Formats: sequence, C-alpha cells, structure tokens
Amino acid sequence: MKVLIDRARCVGAGQCVRVAPEVFDQDEKDGLVVLIDAQAGAEIAPFVRKAAQLCPAQAILIVGDNPRV
Amino acid sequence: MQIAPESHAPKLPFARTCPFDPPPQYAVARALGPLLAVTLWNGKRAWVVMRHAEIRAILMDERRFSGRMGHPDFPSVTAARVAVDRNERAFVGMDNPLHDRYRRFFTREFSVRRMQALIPQMQVLADGLIDELLAEGPPADLVATLAVKYPSLVMAELFGSPYADHLFIIGCAVARHGLTQSTAEAETKARELAAYVRRLIDSKEENPADDMLSRVIALHVKPGDLSRDDLAEIGAMILRAGHDTTTNMIGMGSLLLMRDAVLRARLTAEPKLIEAAVEEFLRFVAPVQFSPRRVALEDVEIAGVTVKKGEGLFMSLPSANRDERLFACPDRIDIERDTSQHLTFGYGIHQCLGQMLARYELQVMIAAILKRLPSLRLAVPLEEIRFKDDMQIYGVHNLPVTW
Repeated sequence: MKVLIDRARCVGAGQCVRVAPEVFDQDEKDGLVVLIDAQAGAEIAPFVRKAAQLCPAQAILIVGDNPRV
Repeated sequence: MQIAPESHAPKLPFARTCPFDPPPQYAVARALGPLLAVTLWNGKRAWVVMRHAEIRAILMDERRFSGRMGHPDFPSVTAARVAVDRNERAFVGMDNPLHDRYRRFFTREFSVRRMQALIPQMQVLADGLIDELLAEGPPADLVATLAVKYPSLVMAELFGSPYADHLFIIGCAVARHGLTQSTAEAETKARELAAYVRRLIDSKEENPADDMLSRVIALHVKPGDLSRDDLAEIGAMILRAGHDTTTNMIGMGSLLLMRDAVLRARLTAEPKLIEAAVEEFLRFVAPVQFSPRRVALEDVEIAGVTVKKGEGLFMSLPSANRDERLFACPDRIDIERDTSQHLTFGYGIHQCLGQMLARYELQVMIAAILKRLPSLRLAVPLEEIRFKDDMQIYGVHNLPVTW
C-alpha cells in the first residue's frame, strides 16, 4: 500500500492523525497533514483505509492496496 | 416518486416525542427516501436530507451546492437566523477558495497534538469544578455547575477570553442558537460578541499572552494577512462554538450515564472504554439540529427527486446518525458499535475545527464524573428536566442532581 496526500485539499480536521498516527501527522506551522510513512505495512493498512474514508476533504489517496493482504 | 405539493410539505422544525430521539418524522421519511420536502417559516420550500450517504455526497459536492451564508437563497430555520447568516463573515459561511484561506490561519491551533497537550489542564479544571460541587453539597444543577463552566474555563485557557466574561459569551451564543428569539436580539448579540473580541484583540496586542488569539495576531495580523475585524468575526464564531456545543454534550452525556447503571459500572471498571462511549454519545445526541445547510447552484437529481436551483437543503445530522443503513438498532446506545462514521462534526471542508478539543473535553469530564461522583443521580423525575426543544443546538437547560 502506498499513501498519497493532497495538502492543497487538507482542512486540518485531524481525523487521519487520530486514526493512524503512525502514518499521518500535522505540520507544526500550518496544522495541515504531513506523511510520516508513505508505505503502510499490513498491520497499519486498515487504519490508513479508515483515515482515507473519514478524511472530510478527501485529501488521502491509497494506491496499490490489496485489502486481503 | 411523488413529491408533496409545496403547501403540504410539513413545517420545519418538527417536535420531538421522546427527548432522546430525533423527531419521529425523520425515521418515517428516511425509510421512504433520502430527502424530505419541508416548508420554512417564510413559506418557502426546502429539503431536509436525512440519510448518511446523501449527506456526505452533498457536503463533498462544492460545485453544485454552496455553503455561503450570504447567498440570497441560503435557508434558515428562523427569521432571526437569516439576519445573522447574512452578516456572517467567518469562514463557516464561506465557500472555497476563501474558506481554506481563512480556516488555515487556525488549523495549527486545533491540531491533534495541541489538543492532546491540553488534557492535563482539562483534568485540573474538571477536578476543580467537582471539588466546588462537592464542597457545596447536593442537590445541584449539573448544567450550571459543570456543563457551562467547564468548556468556558477550557476556552479561557486556549483562546484567551477571560473566564469572567463567560456568561456574556454564552448569552451571545444562545441568542444566535435559539428558535424563538427576535431578529433584533440575534443581530445585537452577534454585533456585541464581535465587538467584544475586537476589544480583546487590542488588549492582546498590547499584552500578548500564551493563547490562541495572541498567537494568531503575531503570526497573521501583524504581517497583514488577516485584518483585525476579520479576526474578531472568526474569534466570535470560535467562542460561540466552543461554549455552546460542548456544554450541551456534557449535559446530555451525564444524563445518559445516569440512566444506564450497567454502562456506568462498565466504564468505571474499564476507563479505557470511555473514549468509545463518548463517540457513541456523540453519535446518539448529535446536538446540532439544523446545520450544515446548502443552496443548490443548479437543478440536481437525488434518488429520483429534483432539487431545483436556488432551493435550500438542511443536512440532518441527528437523522444521519440514526440511519439504519449504517448503524444497526440506531436508537440504542451500544459502545461496541463502529461509530467512526457518525456525522456529529459534519463532513466536507467545514467539518468542525474544534472536534478534537470537544472529544478530549468530553472524555476528561466523563472520566472525572465517574471517578469522583460515583453515586450521581437525578434529583427530580425525568419530566422535570427541560430539554432544549427551543434551541437549534439540543441539550438540557437544567439537570438537578444529587449524590
């Protein structure tokens, strides 16, 4: 799974950091999303999917995902 | 699908028949379709969107639906609300790109880490209020003693508004969030609160402190990105939102706890479940009744119904959170369920900026009540509780308790 973020869309609601703090953080300067780890392992993948689903600005894109893995 | 003629569309708002559930019309209509035609106070037709999926889709569709409160067709549940909407200058009433430009001056202030860092202070404040309550002895009104004071104390620390002013701030919030106030009263209180924050800005410029207002002034007002007047309007919005919604959740959450001995025993034994309980309370209560709202910018067909250009839509978050398509037995409190998609904080670009603040405030207060007031119970029958059927933000006006 590869995680992509679109900072231009981000509204800093913090859902991603709440759900998957291993992968997402917020920039100290503007509160917008930053990626800690673009390659989420299998154990974190469900949380990354949840973050993408909950993001109110749809600023998270997952590529190469195989939910069965 | 048949659409009721305009004159037959029921008048918004509807009355509740059970204080813990949304008006029954929502569940009935939700079974038939995602939209319900309603008549507003001015005789105009509008729509209530009741299902989760359609609400999410509309709130993401910035091209066809506008959230600009100054739009001449922007729908309001009361005449008084029209007046304050028209003068709304904070980003809550803006579409993009303007919305993001202004919201981003504040996003760092509400980041998850920053809110987490406030938890120890929240614990001290919650404990302090419970100390006062215990010292005065039962009975007491939990709304006046805990629910109102606690978010005010937190906002005083975070935002920089003196705690001594909290009743004035709450008065301004209530004047906007009522269903019965006059237009003049709503307008006057909106102006007074913005003028209050404008004076606060002057005083923070002279004596900066470690608070949100001082930081935003230093980072964005001084360099000229944000005007003092715009900051005053946004600050007023943040103060209203920070006081009124959390207060109502604490009142309702405490009441739900007092009515469910099994849940209370479980949370007391396993405090790590409090986070899930708070999310379920948020889903179940959904205090904001008549927002978010949108105007259709073109004719849009939704599930066989045509919403005409210029028609208004109310997203019913209480109804979305009871949508059977997503939540099984939605009228039951169940802290085991997956609550993650509840829409209590809205969705789309306007999703609540203070949601993490609200979550932590609620978790801390519920934990403090469970620990320090283990025998808390209602001091009057439920019939004597005055529920906020007269407000756009639901909750309880009073909560007489003993212990």
